[in-house]
Amino acid sequence: MIPLRLLVVVVLAFAVLLVARLYRQWRGKVRSDKPATPLVPMSIRAGAERTWVIFTTPLCASCGPIEARLRAADPDANVVRIDAIEQPRLSHAFKVRSAPTVLLADGEGRVKARLVGAEAFENYVRNPT
Amino acid sequence: MARSPTPIDPRGPRFNQAVLTLALLIGFVFDWKPVAPAFALVLLLGAAFGTRYGPFLRLYAELIKPRLQPPSELEDPRPPRFAATVGVVILTAATVAFAAGATTAGWTLALIVAVLAGLSATTGICVGCEMWLLVARRRGTLVSNS
Repeated sequence: MIPLRLLVVVVLAFAVLLVARLYRQWRGKVRSDKPATPLVPMSIRAGAERTWVIFTTPLCASCGPIEARLRAADPDANVVRIDAIEQPRLSHAFKVRSAPTVLLADGEGRVKARLVGAEAFENYVRNPT
Repeated sequence: MARSPTPIDPRGPRFNQAVLTLALLIGFVFDWKPVAPAFALVLLLGAAFGTRYGPFLRLYAELIKPRLQPPSELEDPRPPRFAATVGVVILTAATVAFAAGATTAGWTLALIVAVLAGLSATTGICVGCEMWLLVARRRGTLVSNS
């Protein structure tokens, strides 16, 4: 009886590892943005060719490090941090539901990438395609 | 708007989940049914009264955490607390099943908790927390992912 139960435990352990791997792949995907998304306003872009917009909340522990890394990795870009709770209209317009949500806008304000969660950001940094 | 709760060290709940997983799996291997009500109570104490009252949360806070580096990030305490509540409900159902003589149903429920807790402890993927986040997002409540 015990060997059979041990086998069940081993199968469950493999199932957990498989699910974890699939979930991480799905969660870490960088999704291209839909055309319906509004343009990032000029007041945020400040005329820059590239603007990173980081939507944060007070409890977002990874938002600060993300901002620092973006400033270091892309010094020519404009990096703007927006408190999603203080800016509800803006966060609603860009459908921000969690923090960190990072948008990359071009010089015209078109959103070229949308990264939701620290893991998606890490994946984008590793493979910025 | 309600005041945000104090962020917590996410390694505390993960340690709690690791102990829970090991206990439930060992209980299953040796067919020791009291593990289900015992850990329902352990989870209930932490979920209902806070980390000071959860035995393994307190063990982590007092014995393990002082020996570790400070956490690199903190998390909202509400999602793991909700996840623990889900665990209490399922383990209580498992206890009822054992008491009614439905051993297979009881272990199935206990193993569901073991798998979910193991997933969270080893990978950080907390299904109960995601359930909380899903509800929070639908209600328009902004939360931190990490």
